[in-house]
Amino acid sequence: MTDDKDVLRDVWFGRIPTCFTLYQDEITEREAEPYYLLLPRVSYLTLVTDKVKKHFQKAMRQEDVSEIWFEYEGTPLKWHYPIGLLFDLLASSSALPWNITVHFKSFPEKDLLHCPSKDAVEAHFMSCMKEADALKHKSQVINEMQKKDHKQLWMGLQNDRFDQFWAINRKLMEYPPEENGFRYIPFRIYQTTTERPFIQKLFRPVAADGQLHTLGDLLKEVCPSAVTAEDGEKKNQVMIHGIEPMLETPLQWLSEHLSYPDNFLHISIVPQSTD
Amino acid sequence: MAEEDRESRLESFSFNMEDEFFGEKSFQHYCAEFIKHSQQIGDGWEWKTAKDCSDGYMCKTQFQIKNGTTTSHRGTPASVHTCLPTEENLELTVDDSEVMESAAASQVIKYEYHVVYSCSYQVPVLYFRASFLDGRPLALKDIWEGVHECYKTRLLQGPWDTITQQVWVTSFRMICFLVPSICLQIS
Repeated sequence: MTDDKDVLRDVWFGRIPTCFTLYQDEITEREAEPYYLLLPRVSYLTLVTDKVKKHFQKAMRQEDVSEIWFEYEGTPLKWHYPIGLLFDLLASSSALPWNITVHFKSFPEKDLLHCPSKDAVEAHFMSCMKEADALKHKSQVINEMQKKDHKQLWMGLQNDRFDQFWAINRKLMEYPPEENGFRYIPFRIYQTTTERPFIQKLFRPVAADGQLHTLGDLLKEVCPSAVTAEDGEKKNQVMIHGIEPMLETPLQWLSEHLSYPDNFLHISIVPQSTD
Repeated sequence: MAEEDRESRLESFSFNMEDEFFGEKSFQHYCAEFIKHSQQIGDGWEWKTAKDCSDGYMCKTQFQIKNGTTTSHRGTPASVHTCLPTEENLELTVDDSEVMESAAASQVIKYEYHVVYSCSYQVPVLYFRASFLDGRPLALKDIWEGVHECYKTRLLQGPWDTITQQVWVTSFRMICFLVPSICLQIS
């Protein structure tokens, strides 16, 4: 029987085989071969693609290189979304490897945030963590931590160190014994078919009668059109980390075990794949 | 906007650390008061309703002239002077010759401010966006450069802890975000 703790490791070490190809209109001095990499689902693009950047820059002149950005089938990839979320939302129904196009020109200002440094990624990551704890614990747990603990969370993610990260993160997964869970569950629901980038609302893990709310309860409340089927046929897949959890799964359990390192449940709703 | 007016409006909109949480209804009530006052002093704040729900937010647009684009990274706040409350007033309130002289070496920056209620923090938060007139956003370091002197020390101690980047859902645009703890401190 799998221990719940094993789930944490499986989530952390999830990888997506990816093929990076340079955009055909980029000016190169020599042939730029595609670059293959296993991307960590729980990390961010600009954090893990230094080697990709170096590989393609070797084939280009200095003056033709400015800020790198990535695109999949015409969609610029937001570096501030976790990699696993981007894949589940945009490419989960396609065959592997994930084919990403690399650009160095014409940065799409309207679609993407600039990423001037790793500090930008750290600031964004910590900002998400703080918001998650505001929801779970009224920020009490994260504010009680020392600056070095915050640094350890970041370094754990940056250096792919599960134990280093969870030594601190476990504190963010605790709750008072008299409660049955967190105050509110940090979650975001993404769909490519809607104009709104994501849905985020206040939602309690425990009902007034003490029953644990499930994933199904959450979806029925905040995103009913995505899951109810008039004709009984399932329209969409509800995906977290590439899997479809059962709708009966308690939300509290999902929050403790299937959150991303930023402590949010990033949930993708994608059209049911036909194969 | 005049310093004294800004201070007094923040006070009337204030909440102290002891009662730092309040609901969206209270937020909307205080915003209505704030906007009434803003209209009285011609300060340009408006209430906007979000597209697909009853939520709303306060917004304001302001234009500034920066002297000389090349010194924008090294420049001091002294080189940035607030000029005009609205684009429509541009021709009416500024001496044409003044505009001509500075236009050659200067850039007009458009600041958009949104005060939004954050469910996560249960306080209002400030989002803002700085861009050139052609829509290009200002680099984050240029935004940090433009911060008022009295907040500069705090900002330089931890720039990313003060102003950070976040996408605000309702307006779907890239926008800078003043972290909530600072919103509380400023009030």
